[in-house]
Amino acid sequence: MSRDTGTTYWRSLNELQGTPQFEEMLHREFPEAASELPDGISRRRWLQLMGASLALGGVGGCRWEAEQFAPFAVRPTNRTPGIPQRFATSHEVGGSGRGLLVTCYDGRPTKVEGNPDHPLSEGGTDVFDQAAILNLYDPDRSDAVIEQSAGQRFTRDWSDFDRFASRHFAALKRGNGKGLFLLSEATSSPTYQRLLEELQKNHPEAVCLEYESFSRDHERSGAQLAFGRVLRPHYDFDRARVVACLDADPLGMHPAATRHVRDWAAHRDPDSGSFFNRVYSVESELSVTGAQADHRLPIQSSSIRLVTAVLESLILQRLGDSPRETSRRDPGDNSDPRLASRLPLSPEEILAPGQLRFVEALVNDLVETRGGSLLMAGPTQPADVHARVHRINEWLGNSGATVRYTAEPDAGRLSHRAAIDFLSAELREGNVDTLIMLGGNPVYDAPVEVQFGDALQKAKTSIHLSAYRDETSELCTWHLPLAHAFEVWGDTRSNEGTYSISQPLIEPLLTGRSGIQLLAAFNTGNPPASGDLGKRFIQETFYSVLPESPGRAWDTTLHDGFLAGSAFESVNVTVSSSLQSTLDAISLTPPQRSLEVVFSPSRSVYDGRFSNNAWLQELPEPLSKLTWDNAALLSPTTAREHDIEHGDVVRIGSDGRSVEAPVYILPGQAENSIGLQLGYGRTAAGTVAGHVAHNIDPVGVNVSTLRSIEHIHFENGVTITSTGRRHEFATTQEHFAIDRVGLEEISGRVGDLVREGTVDEYAEHPDFAHHGHEEIALWEQPEQDGPQWGMSIDLSKCIGCNACVVACQSENNIPVVGKEQVLKGREMHWLRLDRYFTGDMDEPEVVQQPVACQHCENAPCEQVCPVAATVHSDDGLNDMVYNRCIGTRYCANNCPYKVRRFNFFDYQLPVVQPEQSLKQLAFNPEVTVRSRGVMEKCTYCVQRIRNISILADNDRRPLEDGEVQTACQQSCPAQAITFGDLKLSGSEVATEQSKPRAYGMLDELNVKPRTKYLARIRNPNPVLKATT
Amino acid sequence: MSVVPIPTRTPSESLRPPLVDGEQTLSSLTETVCSIVERPQTPRAWYIAFAISSSLTLMLFGLIGYLIATGIGVWGNNSPVFWGWPIVNFVFWVGIGHAGTLISAILFLFRQQWRTSINRFAEAMTIFAVTCAGIFPAIHVGRVWLVYWLAPYPNQMAMWPNFRSPLLWDVFAVSTYATVSLLFWYLGMIPDLATLRDRATSRVRQFAYGLFALGWTGSARQWHVLEKAYLLLAALATPLVLSVHTIVSFDFAVSHVPGWHTTIFPPYFVAGAVFSGFAMVVTLLVPARHLFGLKDLITPRHLDVMCRIILATSCMVGYAYATEFFTAWYSGNRFEQFAFLNRMQGPYAWAYWTMVTCNVLIPQLYWFERFRTSPWLMVGVAICVNIGMWFERFVITVTSLSRDFLPSSWDYFRPTAVDVLMFVGSFGLFFTLFLLFCRFLPMVAMAEVKSVLPSPSVSES
Repeated sequence: MSRDTGTTYWRSLNELQGTPQFEEMLHREFPEAASELPDGISRRRWLQLMGASLALGGVGGCRWEAEQFAPFAVRPTNRTPGIPQRFATSHEVGGSGRGLLVTCYDGRPTKVEGNPDHPLSEGGTDVFDQAAILNLYDPDRSDAVIEQSAGQRFTRDWSDFDRFASRHFAALKRGNGKGLFLLSEATSSPTYQRLLEELQKNHPEAVCLEYESFSRDHERSGAQLAFGRVLRPHYDFDRARVVACLDADPLGMHPAATRHVRDWAAHRDPDSGSFFNRVYSVESELSVTGAQADHRLPIQSSSIRLVTAVLESLILQRLGDSPRETSRRDPGDNSDPRLASRLPLSPEEILAPGQLRFVEALVNDLVETRGGSLLMAGPTQPADVHARVHRINEWLGNSGATVRYTAEPDAGRLSHRAAIDFLSAELREGNVDTLIMLGGNPVYDAPVEVQFGDALQKAKTSIHLSAYRDETSELCTWHLPLAHAFEVWGDTRSNEGTYSISQPLIEPLLTGRSGIQLLAAFNTGNPPASGDLGKRFIQETFYSVLPESPGRAWDTTLHDGFLAGSAFESVNVTVSSSLQSTLDAISLTPPQRSLEVVFSPSRSVYDGRFSNNAWLQELPEPLSKLTWDNAALLSPTTAREHDIEHGDVVRIGSDGRSVEAPVYILPGQAENSIGLQLGYGRTAAGTVAGHVAHNIDPVGVNVSTLRSIEHIHFENGVTITSTGRRHEFATTQEHFAIDRVGLEEISGRVGDLVREGTVDEYAEHPDFAHHGHEEIALWEQPEQDGPQWGMSIDLSKCIGCNACVVACQSENNIPVVGKEQVLKGREMHWLRLDRYFTGDMDEPEVVQQPVACQHCENAPCEQVCPVAATVHSDDGLNDMVYNRCIGTRYCANNCPYKVRRFNFFDYQLPVVQPEQSLKQLAFNPEVTVRSRGVMEKCTYCVQRIRNISILADNDRRPLEDGEVQTACQQSCPAQAITFGDLKLSGSEVATEQSKPRAYGMLDELNVKPRTKYLARIRNPNPVLKATT
Repeated sequence: MSVVPIPTRTPSESLRPPLVDGEQTLSSLTETVCSIVERPQTPRAWYIAFAISSSLTLMLFGLIGYLIATGIGVWGNNSPVFWGWPIVNFVFWVGIGHAGTLISAILFLFRQQWRTSINRFAEAMTIFAVTCAGIFPAIHVGRVWLVYWLAPYPNQMAMWPNFRSPLLWDVFAVSTYATVSLLFWYLGMIPDLATLRDRATSRVRQFAYGLFALGWTGSARQWHVLEKAYLLLAALATPLVLSVHTIVSFDFAVSHVPGWHTTIFPPYFVAGAVFSGFAMVVTLLVPARHLFGLKDLITPRHLDVMCRIILATSCMVGYAYATEFFTAWYSGNRFEQFAFLNRMQGPYAWAYWTMVTCNVLIPQLYWFERFRTSPWLMVGVAICVNIGMWFERFVITVTSLSRDFLPSSWDYFRPTAVDVLMFVGSFGLFFTLFLLFCRFLPMVAMAEVKSVLPSPSVSES
C-alpha cells in the first residue's frame, strides 16, 4: 500500500472544514418541506378515482377526517381485503424493458420486485425498477392538459385536446403529413412501433425520430462498421472466464445488467465448483464493474481507442505465433501481421510501463481463454473501437460463444444525435408545422449547441406528452400528461428481446394517457373512451406482430408477465473485410496530456428522468457516496496538478461552451479526465429536483451546457478554472475531511472489517477469514424453539449497485430527509453500503459492504435501553418497539455497527401534507410509519417473516427454506444475500454461514451478530499481482 | 446577646488563622448576614443582574418549547454523535453540584469547621446546579411527553423499565441526590429562617419566613433534634457524593464505545466533579463575598483551603488522563488505542488540548501562594477550570462517539445555535435562582458560624 499518496491526498482535503458555503446550502434543496408546491392531487380526488376499495387500504393520517366507508357489494374476483396481490408487468428504462412483479394492497401498488421467471433478471432488479413506485405516487406529476397560446397558459381537458387534435390531424393528413415531425424517446414497445409505422403510412411525409440523451448508438454503428448491419451484442457472463471492459459497465449501466450480474456473480463463488472469472477494466471513471474488477486500468476515455489498437496488435502477434489460430482468422485480415506496425508508435511508446504490463497480461489471459474470453466496449466509445472489439472477439473465437448478436428491431432509424441535430435544423428553417414529442425532455438534455429550446419555438404547434410539466413542456403549445407504466396497458421487449406486457395496476391517478393511446388516437381520429386504457392495441400487436410461438396465449403471457421464447434470434455474422480500410482511415493519435471530460448518466437519476424521485436523489452514489448532487469527478493527482481542492467550484469550458460544477476528488478517477453526470440541474422538475419558477433551486448542475453534438460522450482538450467559490457535498460517508490519524486508522481497520483473499489464498487457507477470536459465554444461552433467523452476505458477489438500499426504503417506509439533513449526518437508510478504498489512491481497490442491523445475539443496544424498547424475540430478532421508544438514543450510541437511525424530526410530516398526500399511497401498510423521536433500524423484514409464518401456521406445516425473503435479498441481482433459518439443517443460510470464509464483523466484541459476511475473493492475474 | 470582647491571639493560634475575621460578634454576625436580605432597597446591580439572568432563563424555556414542538433535530446531534451538548451540559452541571454536598456532608462528618462559612452557599449552588442538570436529560429524549416511562410505576402496559440500563440507574441517582441535597440544605437553614422571621418587619416576610421556619423557637430540644437529623442526613448524603457521579460515569463506562468503556471512570468522574464543583464555588464566592461584605466570614483562609482542594483534584484528574492513555496502550485494543490517539490528534484535538490546559496545567498555578491569596487571580484560574471541565465532558462524549468502530459511520459534530443558547440559558437559570437566593435567604449559615466564633472564654483566659 502506498500510504504516502493517500495521506497527501486526504491532507489536501483537510482544508474542506469550515467552509462558509454551508450556510448557503442550508436554504437549498430541502425538498419535501418546501411549501411552494405545484398543485398535487387531494385525497378526496383520489378517492373519487379509486372508489371504496381504497377506504380499506390503511392510508395513514385519515383518522380525524370524515370519510365515507363502503364495503364491496360484490367483492372483486381474487380480492381479499388486506391480502396483497402480485401482478407480473413490465416497464422500460431507456428503451429497454424489465420484467417486474408488483405487489398491490387493495388495488394499490406498493412494492416492485423483479419477475423471478423473467429470463433477463430472474428476480433481480436495479434502483430504477425499485424506485418506479415512488414516481407513480409523485404529486408533482402532471395532472392536466395545458394549452399555451399567446404567452398564456390555459388548463384544458383531454376532450379539449381531442377536439383540437381531430381537427389538426385531419388537416395534416390532407397534406400527407408534411411538416409533421414526431420525436420519441427510445422505446422497445412493439405496439408503439406498429402504431408509429401506421402513422407514417397515414402521413407519408411525416418524419419520425428518436432521441435519448444517453445513447447506446455507438454500439449500433460499431456493428454496422464491423458487420455491415446494425446489430445488438449480447454478452454471456455464464461462459466468460476472462472479461475485459473498455469503458464498459456491463454490471452497472447496461440494459442487461441484471442478467450480467446474476451470471457474473455465479462465477465469483469459489465454492461453486465452476470456474472463477476474472475481470479487467479499462476506464476513465470508476464504474460499478470497475470497482469489482480484479484489475483496473484508469485511463482517459479518449485514450481507449489507442489502448484497443495496442491490444489488437498484441493479440494479433500472439495469435500469429500460434499456428492453430491462423485458420480461424478471416483470410482477408490475416494478411495482417503488419497490423502491429499500423500503430503510430510502438506499444512501448504509447503506453506507460505499468499500462503496457496490464495490457500484456490482459492479452495473455484473453488468448489463453479464447472462446471463453470476452472483450467489450462501452457506449461512450466511438464506432471504430466497437468494430475493433467485434473483430478481436471474432479472432479469439468468442463470437458466438461469449458474445452473440441479434438484429436491432429499429435498424433503419437515424442515430440519436443525428436526429436531434436534424430536427433542430428543420425547426430553425421553419419546416416544422407540428412537432409531437412523446416523452423525453430535449429542452433540458439536448446538447447545448442545437439550442433546442429556441428552435422549438419555431414550430407552429408543439405537443409534448410528458409525465411532468418539465422544461420542454413549458415551451410547447400543448402539454399532455403521460400515464405511468403501472397505470395503462403497454408492452416492452427486454434487451435480449423477451416480450412482456405492462398491465394497469391502478387506474390513472392523474388523468394521464400513454404514448400508445395518443398515437392510436392520431391514427384513428378516435380518442380513447373513458376507462379504455389501451388493452386492445396491445392485443392486436400480440396476435399480429409477434412471431408465432408455441406458448403464445394472451392469458398465459399476461399472467407470467412475459412471452416465453420470444427473445431475439441470434444471427451469425462475420466481420467484413472492408473494416480494415475504414479503420486505416482513422488516425490513431498518440495520447495527449490535455484534460478530457466524460459524460455519463447518473447512477441515481439516470439522464434526469428520475430527478424528481426523492429516493433516488438521496441514494448514495455507489462510489462517491454523494447524495443530492452531481459533481466534476477528478483524480487526486489531476486535482493537485491544477491546484484544485475538493469542493471547489470550477468552470469547465471548451469552445465557448462551459459548465460550472463543484469538484469531487474521487480515488480511481483516471488522470486528466473529468467525470460529469447527466440528469441534474433540472429547472422545471418538481419539488424534489428543483423548479426555478417555484423558487426551488435545482439539485446539482446541468452538464448539457458543455455537451456538443460532436462530443456527446467525451471531449478532449477542455479547460478547467477555479471560480473561487466552494460547495458542500452531502455524502453519507466521509461526511467531513479525513485527517491523517483517521486515514491511517481506516487503512489499518478495513482489512479486518472487509476480509479479502485471492482464489489461491482461499485454496491454500480456506479459513483465512478467521482472525482467531474465541467467543466465550459467561452463561449458558437458552435454547430457543422455532426458527432462528440469520443472514449471510457474500462480499464476493456484492457489486454495490444500491438496488437493495432502495428496495429496503420502499419495503420499510423509510423517509427521505433531504440534503440539509444528510449534511448533518442524519440519513435514514436502514441498509447502507460501506465503501472503502484501499491501496494507492490513484489506482485504488474498492470494497463494498452492505451493512444493516446484524441482529446480535448479545445485542449491546438491548441492554442499555432504559425503557426496554428494544428487545430480543424468540426467533433471534433484535426487535424495535416503536411504541415503547422514548428516544434516549443510548442504543444507537452502543451499537458498534451504527445501523440505528433516529427520527430527529418528523421526517414523514411532509408526506402527510395535503398537497403531498399522494405519496402516502407508496407506504407499505404492513410497516409502521415512524413518528419523530423514535429509533428505527433493520428488522430483517419482520413483517414478511410474520406474514409467511401465519400462512404456514394456518396450513400446519413448518416454514420451508427460502420461503421468507427479505426485501434486500429479493432485489439483489447478484444473489449476494441469503436469509433463512439457521437452525434448519441444510438451509441455504446455514450452509453459507458454515463456509470457511464466513465471518462476523467485529466478532471480537462478542456481540454474536446473526448476519455473517463471506469474505471477498478476488482473482488477480498472478503476473500482475507479482509486479504490483 | 452581649458584646463579646475580641480575643487576642497567642502566637500558637496565629499558625492557624481564625475562621472568622474582623470585629465580628454574635450579633454583628447576624446583622452582617441578615442585612443583606433585609435591605429595604434592592440594589440596582441586583436588578440588572436579575434582568439579564431571568431573560436568559426565559430564552431557555422558550427554546425548550421550540425543541419540544419541533424535535431534537434542532440540536447538532447526528449519527453517530447521538448524544451531544445536552448530555455534556448535564454532566457538567451535575459535576458542579458536587461541591455542595461534599462541603456540607463529608466535611461535616470530618468536623472540618471551616466549612461553616461556605456550606450554605455551596449547598445552594448544588441545588441550582442539579436543577439545571436535571432539565437536560429530561428534554433530550426524543419523546419528552413519555419521559415518565423511565419511572418504575405500575401501569396498564405491565411494563417495568429496564433495570439493566445505566440510564435508569441515573434517574434514581440524580433524583435521590437532588432530594437529599434539598432536604439537607433546608434543614440546616431552619434556624436561620427563624432568625429572619424574628427580625422581619413586614407581614409578608413574617409569614413567608414563618412558614418555612416551621415554628422554630431555638429550644434545646429542637436543637437536639435538628442536629441529630442533620448528622443522619450527612451520613446519608456522603455516599451519594460518590454514587451520583459514579452512576453518571456508568452511562458511559457500561457501554462499549471506545473511550467510554473503561473502569477508571467512577473515581475519575467523582474527582472531576469535586474539582469542578469547588472551582464553581470559588468563582461565585469571591465576587459574592466582595459585593455583600462577607469578607469577615469568608476569609482568605477559606479560599486558600478551597484552592488546595482544587489543586489536589486537578492532579487526580491529570493522573486519570494519563492512566486512560496507559490503559488504552496496555490493552492492546486497536479501537481503544485509536480513541485516545484521535483525542490528541484527531479533528477534536483542539477540544482535548483546551481540556488539558485548563484542567491540568493552569490549576498548577495554585502551587504559588499568590494565586491562592489574590481573589481575582484565584477566580481566573477557577473559571479556566470550569471551562476545562465542560470540555472534559465534551471530549468524552463527542469525540468518542464521532469515531467508533466502523469508519464508514464516522462524522463530525457541529453544535447549532440552539445548542449554544440552551447552554447559555442554563446559566441564566442558575444565576436567576442564585440571585433570588442571595436576595431572600441567608447566604451564610449564621447558626453554624456562630459555633465556630472564637469563644469569649478563650479571650478571658
